Amino acid sequence: MVYKQSWGDRLFDLLIYLFMFAVFLAMVVPFLHIINYSLSLPAKADGQLLLVPRGFTLDAYKLVFTNESIVHSIFISVARTVTGTALMVFVTSMGAYAITRDDVAGIKFFRKFFVFTLYFSGGIIPVYMLNRALGLTGSFWVYILPGAVSVFNMILIKTYIESLPKELEESARIDGANDMYLFFRIVFPLSMPVLAAVSLFSGIGQWNAFVDTQFYNAMNPELFPLQYVLYNSLQSITSFEMYMQESQQVVVHLTPQSLKLAMTVLTVIPIMIAYPFLQKFFIKGLLIGSIKG
Amino acid sequence: MLHHLYRHKYVYLLLAPAVVFVFLFHYVPLFGWVIAFTRYQPGLSMWDAEWAGLEQFRRFFVESNDYLYLLRNTLVINILIIITNLSLGLIFAVLLNELRSRFFMKLMQTVSFFPFFISWVITYSISYTFLSQSTGVLNSILVHLGFIESGINVLGEAKYAWPLAVGLEAWKSMGYTSIIFIAAITAIPSEQYEAADIDGASRFQKMRLVTIPNLVPTLIVILILNSGWVLSSNFEFFFIFTNPTNWERMQVLDIYIYDFGLKQNNYSYATAVGIVKTVVSLIIIVSINALSKRATGKGIF
Repeated sequence: MVYKQSWGDRLFDLLIYLFMFAVFLAMVVPFLHIINYSLSLPAKADGQLLLVPRGFTLDAYKLVFTNESIVHSIFISVARTVTGTALMVFVTSMGAYAITRDDVAGIKFFRKFFVFTLYFSGGIIPVYMLNRALGLTGSFWVYILPGAVSVFNMILIKTYIESLPKELEESARIDGANDMYLFFRIVFPLSMPVLAAVSLFSGIGQWNAFVDTQFYNAMNPELFPLQYVLYNSLQSITSFEMYMQESQQVVVHLTPQSLKLAMTVLTVIPIMIAYPFLQKFFIKGLLIGSIKG
Repeated sequence: MLHHLYRHKYVYLLLAPAVVFVFLFHYVPLFGWVIAFTRYQPGLSMWDAEWAGLEQFRRFFVESNDYLYLLRNTLVINILIIITNLSLGLIFAVLLNELRSRFFMKLMQTVSFFPFFISWVITYSISYTFLSQSTGVLNSILVHLGFIESGINVLGEAKYAWPLAVGLEAWKSMGYTSIIFIAAITAIPSEQYEAADIDGASRFQKMRLVTIPNLVPTLIVILILNSGWVLSSNFEFFFIFTNPTNWERMQVLDIYIYDFGLKQNNYSYATAVGIVKTVVSLIIIVSINALSKRATGKGIF
């Protein structure tokens, strides 16, 4: 097909490309700037937009990585991301399989029991009181246990399981497999695409979380995840200096801002690494969700 | 019956952990609502608290008029966010569809989707880098070029609170919102475009008369789905961005509940405000659902 372009069409194209260029700048330049600033000498870089580093130096990163609190907080972040995601995937997918089993008495009730919680919540204070009463305050488990079931993910997984061919289950059952075997050896492995998707959502949520630390562990620095350490240092100069005093090296030519941005970049990097997968699976997950809706 | 239960014991076993967790972390807190009707002292047992009837609710609605500015902020910000996100997401999806280069389309999608995954702490760090009054990059550049005398305090002044909330939400989730519309665009039957071609429609006319009308049902469904959440705010955003100088226009119900409850230890009052929020939200969801069932035959539940 031959395109005959009118002037109107060309003008239209021009406007679209201008719009896209503006979006591109708005989405890319902020990240580019913070990465470059964290790699620059603050004296040369202040007050301007950086598209390349100015006065290249890795000192900000050296300082961040020699700080014990920060290194420990990375460990906490990784630990909560891995543990929290693993527990969520197991408990939620087991529940998701169970609620596909309409043939079993009481399952319809439990399906409603789960879905109801999407529309209703006890609210901040009652949840806080419960977690305190359970002794989760001041413990690592407050990051893990309250999120062990995600009803939203459960519905995604359930929808996926229902789309699997029934014949596989039936033939396994004829061979004498019980429900436990059926789930762990057949349904679970076959559900990998959706499980990968929900693992990524949950992993991102765990990595990005910081409010739970503020609520339950604000007095326990040994349980601070990286996001919370960064949040603290952004909030006040004093807590920032506290972090930096621990570091063995003192590098005078750095400013609080360059250190904060080095930490910011450090916090974004895992997301950047996971991003290609996120993009792929998130879109899939979103579409599974919308089929249901 | 017992035989049936026994035969399916493994199904119940698989179900059990999820039921226990959901009951514990989602249903048990509902019993905590009791304290809204008492004068509860943190540290004491819930059951020893003195009964106060509707006193806490009266305090919120009669003795103070905080609910006026709280409802205003919560509703205005949330409605502006929903409208801005949906229109930007729709426009972006429609214009992406007009790009002729697949590479460029993929690139734009990749770039625009990324901010959705970063935390609000990071977003704050970036906002501070660009918008802070004295050292922000944008302010520095504008001052340097002579457009403004001194930096604009976008993060601190109340009058910038709403645009800040709407702008950052849009920045973070435009790419995300557009995905649903992109999926809806691919579902438009190509006959419609062919018919438009035969009628001699220009590209702009096809976009206006074929693509956009086809997206309206999706738009309505998303609007309905979001409507029940107009009183619930993104806690993390408001937690970071509400400060002593902009709270008049930035503070929303959720942050008010947090401030009164966990900061000032007034659990009963904060819980009462939380109940008001939940009940009103539920009324909104149920009525929107009823309306949508009557109008389109479809509801959320």
